[in-house]
Amino acid sequence: MRGFGDLETVIMHMVWDHDGPVTVRDLFDELRQERPIAYTTVMSTMDNLHRKGWLDRAKEGKAYRYTATASREEYSARLMREALAGGGDTEMVLSHFVAEMDGADSEVLRTVVRRLAGRRSE
Amino acid sequence: MSAALLVFGYGLVVAWCLPALLTRLTAAGFSARLGLAAWLAAMVSVLAAVLAAIQYLITAAVEGWPQLAEAVCRSVAGGACTTVVYRSAVFELGLGLAAAAAALTLGVLAWRYGRSLQREQRRTRAHAEAARITGRRLPGGGAAVVLDAAQPAAYCVPGRPAAIVLTSAALAVLDPGQLTAVLAHERAHLAGRHHLLIALTRGLAATFPGVPLFTRAPAEVARLAEMCADDAAARHSSRPALITALLAMGTGTAVPAAALAATGGAVAARVQRLLDPAPRARHARNRLALVTVIVLLALVSGLVTRYAGPLAARGFALG
Repeated sequence: MRGFGDLETVIMHMVWDHDGPVTVRDLFDELRQERPIAYTTVMSTMDNLHRKGWLDRAKEGKAYRYTATASREEYSARLMREALAGGGDTEMVLSHFVAEMDGADSEVLRTVVRRLAGRRSE
Repeated sequence: MSAALLVFGYGLVVAWCLPALLTRLTAAGFSARLGLAAWLAAMVSVLAAVLAAIQYLITAAVEGWPQLAEAVCRSVAGGACTTVVYRSAVFELGLGLAAAAAALTLGVLAWRYGRSLQREQRRTRAHAEAARITGRRLPGGGAAVVLDAAQPAAYCVPGRPAAIVLTSAALAVLDPGQLTAVLAHERAHLAGRHHLLIALTRGLAATFPGVPLFTRAPAEVARLAEMCADDAAARHSSRPALITALLAMGTGTAVPAAALAATGGAVAARVQRLLDPAPRARHARNRLALVTVIVLLALVSGLVTRYAGPLAARGFALG
């Protein structure tokens, strides 16, 4: 099924889907329903996510209560800003399927679309 | 000294004269992969020539330090340069310092080059990881994830592991066949390690500003890499699927009247190439020209670096 690194993804999405803060126990109980998993695996993964800045935590009694540092939407927006920044060239190597186009470029494409539409209707 | 000049001269000729020819030969992208190979061969050839020239220079300097000192001294001071001057410790120290400065400059350039590559790699990997954690997994899409965004976009991020990112808006405008084409295109980038080619070429351009071959290469390599990925995607899905995917991702809604003339726009060139494949004969001629360039580059740079020493020695003997 999913690889080990994917557990971070699964856990983040679970945290985002929860309304309030969650404990390791909460997520472990949920995860156990779908797959055999050890409590310590969930704990160390959440610890990793905390260390990487994805999760905030506050001690409550004996256990930590975890919350996401930003919503899924905020992370998506941040990634898109990074990916679509015009000058992003110098900082990262992303291969966009369609690059930013200048006016003439998109003009040509629109003409092609029209030509194809015309051909189809003939 | 003169062997170094010979090799260096060869490097200069390639760096200044070849870009125009290569741009012309690869403009239409008939054989994108060969075009890519030709650009890379030219860059490797120039770098090898520069390194060989430096090596000849060092060998000559070590072998004939006094003569070199005299030659440099005479070229600077002319008749005023007597044995006493160029044998003086101060003068030798000066030359030594110059050599040290040159070595230091090279070292700094190499270090800056390495650091910028490293920084780029770190940021790219972080982006790939963040995309993997934030995105929804695309069913049947392998490493592909979907981010919610209003703008249609699709891109790949190298990393450990790499990620292919699609926005929800992109999914909305693509049909299944087009989606297959887009994914195949991005996978071809990752499989061909195009990001590495582009990063290395950009680094060279930043390290050697003003050298036409290096300053022009990043855009050309990126363009040809896109065309290589297009070829792979067309093979994997179909030409029409890829073309319509490009159009769907690239256009808005309005369709103003305009002539279908070549504009030099990168995306338009890709679409036109796929729409109107070149006649076979032209294709073959172009291939042949590119292969000739690559073979000549390998042959001439090999010969020049290998025989510059003996050649220069013979030149001295004759003169």
